[in-house]
Amino acid sequence: MPGLLVNILWLIGILGEAAVVVCAIKKGAFRRYLLLNLYMAGLLCVELVRYKIVSEYGLKSTQFIYFYFYSDAILTIFLYFALCTLYSHVFSEMKAERYVRMGALLLLAGTALFTYAVVMQSTAKLLTHFVIELSQNLYFVGLILTYILWGAILKLRETRTRLIQLVLSLGVYFSLLAVNYAVRNLYPSLSSIFIPLVQLCGIFLPMAWAYAFWHLPEEARLVPARLAVIPR
Amino acid sequence: MLFLTMLVLVGAMGLKTIVTAHGDSSVIMANGAGPAPQTPYRNGAGPAPQTPYRNGAGPAPQTPY
Repeated sequence: MPGLLVNILWLIGILGEAAVVVCAIKKGAFRRYLLLNLYMAGLLCVELVRYKIVSEYGLKSTQFIYFYFYSDAILTIFLYFALCTLYSHVFSEMKAERYVRMGALLLLAGTALFTYAVVMQSTAKLLTHFVIELSQNLYFVGLILTYILWGAILKLRETRTRLIQLVLSLGVYFSLLAVNYAVRNLYPSLSSIFIPLVQLCGIFLPMAWAYAFWHLPEEARLVPARLAVIPR
Repeated sequence: MLFLTMLVLVGAMGLKTIVTAHGDSSVIMANGAGPAPQTPYRNGAGPAPQTPYRNGAGPAPQTPY
């Protein structure tokens, strides 16, 4: 079994995931951000099953290792589609849903093909290798897509506060994980500090989304930083 | 559309290369706050094993691939 601190952080994460779903239902935002909420609900279920497996078989058991990576791949695909629905929300006024859907499927197929091309050299555990690599690659595709969405939000002067909060927190979450990974590999002596931080990153996203659903009403708007001056 | 898709894919893989340049082949992503296990194809001290549970308790080596 993992240590006490790991368990406490894990429990906070699970509670945070439940809080997102509860807050979204309570504030009537579940259907509006359906895939986002389904991702969180799925993550909650997966986390509970993971905890059950760890408590029964242990952290280093084959059951946990395989369940972790296969469930993670499914969750990453879910998160990818959830991110695509955020694109649909941002570009809703342009009626670009069809293009977003097409682009999302094309990019997912491209990522899967690229991943297969990379792992097909591997002779052992081809499927497991493929599943883990696909998750990794989709994670980086999601990171780039979130940055592009940040740019689009700035360029289009998006003012919907809740939507901005959801996108920004997703970008911060992706970035924190990437920075954490890069720093702990650059400075392996600090691994003992940076590895537990991954868990804190895992807590950040549900907390930020729960805050967005609970505190920010759908009709809340931000005032644009720069107002356009139109000469008459 | 295809060009944009490829551009995003190239950008993502470029970023992955930068971030994991000094990596030990461990996994970066984490859905949820639970602890992440080692990848199943990294265990064992010898050549690539058939199944993860055949490996001993020795330190995990780099993947041969």
